[in-house]
Amino acid sequence: MKELSFYIHIPFCVSKCIYCGFVSFINKQNCFEFYTKRLQEEILTYKQILKDYKLKSIFFGGGTPSILPSECICQILSTIKQNFNLTKTCEITLEANPESFDEQKAFAYKNAGINRLSFGLQSCNNKVLKFLGRPHTKKDFENAILWAKNAGFKNINADILIGTPNQTTQNLKNAINFLANQGVCHISAYGLMVEESTQLFKMVNSKQVVLPNEDQSVKLYETAVQELKKHGYNRYEISNFAIKGFECKHNQNYWARGEFLGFGVAAYSFFGGEHYENTKSLDDYLNLPFQKQNVEKETPLTAQNETIMLALRTENGLNLKDFNKKFNTDFEKQFEKELKELQQSGLISIQNGYLKITNFQVSNYIIEKFFV
Amino acid sequence: MAEQKNIRNFCIVAHIDHGKSTLADRLIEATGTLATRDMQNQLLDSMDLERERGITIKLAPTRMLYKKDGVEYVLNLIDTPGHVDFTYEVSRSLAACEGAILIVDAGQGVEAQTLANAYLALDNNLEILPVINKIDLPSANPQKAKQESEDVVGIPAMHAPEISAKEGINITQVLDGIIKEFPAPKGDKNAPLKCLIFDSYYDNFKGAVCMIRVFDGTLKAGDKILFMHTQKQFDVTEVGYFTPSPKPCDCLSAGEVGYVCASIKKVADTQVGDTITSATNPIPKPLAGYKKVQPVVFSGIFPADGSKFNELKDALEKLKLNDSALEYTAENSTALGFGFRCGFLGLLHMEVIQERIEREFNLEIITTAPGVSYHVYKTDGSMLEVSNPSNLPEPSTIQRLEEPFVHMHIYTPPEYMGGIMDLCQQRRGISIDVQYIDDRRVKLVYDMPLNEIIYDFFDNLKSRTKGYASLDYELSDYRPSDLVKLDILLKGEPCDALSLIVHREHAQERGRMIAEKLKEAIPRQQFEVPIQAAIGGKIIARETVKAVRKDVLAKCYGGDITRKRKLLEKQKEGKKRMRTLGNVEVPAEAFINILKIDN
Repeated sequence: MKELSFYIHIPFCVSKCIYCGFVSFINKQNCFEFYTKRLQEEILTYKQILKDYKLKSIFFGGGTPSILPSECICQILSTIKQNFNLTKTCEITLEANPESFDEQKAFAYKNAGINRLSFGLQSCNNKVLKFLGRPHTKKDFENAILWAKNAGFKNINADILIGTPNQTTQNLKNAINFLANQGVCHISAYGLMVEESTQLFKMVNSKQVVLPNEDQSVKLYETAVQELKKHGYNRYEISNFAIKGFECKHNQNYWARGEFLGFGVAAYSFFGGEHYENTKSLDDYLNLPFQKQNVEKETPLTAQNETIMLALRTENGLNLKDFNKKFNTDFEKQFEKELKELQQSGLISIQNGYLKITNFQVSNYIIEKFFV
Repeated sequence: MAEQKNIRNFCIVAHIDHGKSTLADRLIEATGTLATRDMQNQLLDSMDLERERGITIKLAPTRMLYKKDGVEYVLNLIDTPGHVDFTYEVSRSLAACEGAILIVDAGQGVEAQTLANAYLALDNNLEILPVINKIDLPSANPQKAKQESEDVVGIPAMHAPEISAKEGINITQVLDGIIKEFPAPKGDKNAPLKCLIFDSYYDNFKGAVCMIRVFDGTLKAGDKILFMHTQKQFDVTEVGYFTPSPKPCDCLSAGEVGYVCASIKKVADTQVGDTITSATNPIPKPLAGYKKVQPVVFSGIFPADGSKFNELKDALEKLKLNDSALEYTAENSTALGFGFRCGFLGLLHMEVIQERIEREFNLEIITTAPGVSYHVYKTDGSMLEVSNPSNLPEPSTIQRLEEPFVHMHIYTPPEYMGGIMDLCQQRRGISIDVQYIDDRRVKLVYDMPLNEIIYDFFDNLKSRTKGYASLDYELSDYRPSDLVKLDILLKGEPCDALSLIVHREHAQERGRMIAEKLKEAIPRQQFEVPIQAAIGGKIIARETVKAVRKDVLAKCYGGDITRKRKLLEKQKEGKKRMRTLGNVEVPAEAFINILKIDN
């Protein structure tokens, strides 16, 4: 049986953070129930198609999935379980924000089958949290962790941001230290991106806010990697760190270029050799028939580029033998010149049949070299 | 066949934008040569590019029939290019005529090219019919324009037709003037054949087609002809004339204008100014005035995508078919790979060729800085012509360097004189003369190195004079100059395609500007890239492109995958247009940007 992943988008938030470029809506409580219903309808459209498939992971992302009443999550999960095959070790993650999480929800999620929680912490500094527009405090997060553990969750992730204004290496070390003490077993450390159309973009443009310069960012990332390693978190992808055995299967499926189906507003899918997405309009999603948008058929070329791009983001790197077999090529011959140059500059290594990036800070520069 | 006494061969000369092509259109329309619905504005300029820029490069002679007092006249209009790059072609077209219509703009009066073209016409012993155009404009002052024509050009102009070519006003007066003022051609149709080639073009079916004026004799299909300068012989397959589309006819006789086809494979065999005679009964001496056309501006042209060399070669071959003035030889640059060193009649010619390559052949190209041909006198007594800076010999073997100078006339309202004189001085101009033509116009005469003009002199002149100044120049001679080769080094390696020959006094400034431009154009790479400008071994300017230390470590999940892939693909596509020099990646734009140095 083939395997794939489900991504379920919950596009609702308590408030909009200044750096957020995702599709999410505030003050839409009245839609929660109907949205839940539509999600289940959309999922069921795949019932026949997925007869011969097993789900290896399910991911509730957002937005803020924890903003929904826990019954909604339970209903969706029970619909999935009743109509699709799940692997025994199926990873079921739910993203939660400390402010919309409580003890009752923790138990409800656990009972519904959720086995991994991912908290959007972003910073341990209340001032920074306030600046970013996050509606929670460090204390809220500590409570959330406590409830999660009480309910029996072991697999817990926290997101933190690198490169917020005035962040020092010491701030970063303190945050990682704090998370290690809280018993979090997975940390995603993302560089703060300034997306167009966000409030942060305007603030940076008008010089109201100054972000760390290139040299500072380099240092911050290096510090984070070292500090995380010190506490036993191994980097397994550019921005993802885990205690051994707690790597996120859902994301690993993306980087292996596995198939996935996305449900909900603005959700992306890669299935049957096609990339496609759902409408970004909440009204359309709620009221119009489901329709794939921006369908793009994969070509040998895009498949090859994506495989390289995704694999090189991971610590394991690209399995050259598999690649050559899949694309009927000889990677080392095809990119002889590039490999030599980059090896000489110490940016990549080839070991045991895997091509690996050794300096992730310039990964785009390197990945692009292997694009065809 | 028309009677010789009823033929009039004439051309129209004017300053650029004074309405030459528009008047030509009106004459064709007024004589009923083409129905109005077939007219496309300025149809004589057959190439799109010419029409877009409002300039004429190719000449297209048109036969028009005009009845006056019961007599049918044959009017042959020979259109001429209006740009200083093509002075020789203009002079050969004029040699095919007996008369010239001189257009004077009713608002602007006599401009530099009005005068230069009028003198060219006088040199060719043409009758001149002045015509005051654009009388429909509010700024028109026909009386003043007439007075100026008399004072400046020195031709009677008080009875000149006052017209608006655009509005079609008084066009008949022009036609009547042509018949009255211009003499009929002379020549003996029974004498041995004597024809002037004043242009040629390539036709896919007929081969090279010569546009000719018959001075003596008669030419018909089946004749054996000899081109006197190239010494090539051909059998005539077809003769005819243009209306303006080609119309075959039985023969062309003394006094007539038309075309001849003779299965000629290359336009290069049909040199403008050459004389056609009979191969069996040749005349002893060709017509005077022939010159081999020499390119004066040179630049390297390379495909932006290095793998497209053959496509570029193909494009140049095709363009050359129709443009004997274009010259090119293969060139191999360490920086840019395989390409061509091309010679042009001038900057406009260069730009037109570049645009045609990009537009008609859909090829992106990299062009190196335009330069001139230098005379290098070596210590061993030999002389070398160098148009590619990287071919300049070792300084120790050079006795002296000479560069081409032009003799230049600038016409301007007096208030801009100061600015122009500053500019000319900056460009190493030598003031020869200053003449006040009247209270609102001054003529400045300068000798100036050609190299100083080809960058952006004309743009600068226009911006300093709000567009009021006009310019005309001709190559005069070669003069010794204190010239040096300016090298650009990337990461310590000289980049041949960026080398320039400049005057020693300007080297420092230019080196600094190029280094600054390159710093902006070269993207950051994984290592630091020092950019240096050097003369000999001496560094005169330096900039540094800092190394990339970090690119964006964005997350990459579901929806990010295609977006990110496309972003990187786009980046990669951009890099395809880059050249690797040493191991520095330099985008095509860098080579183009350094050409755009403003003062």
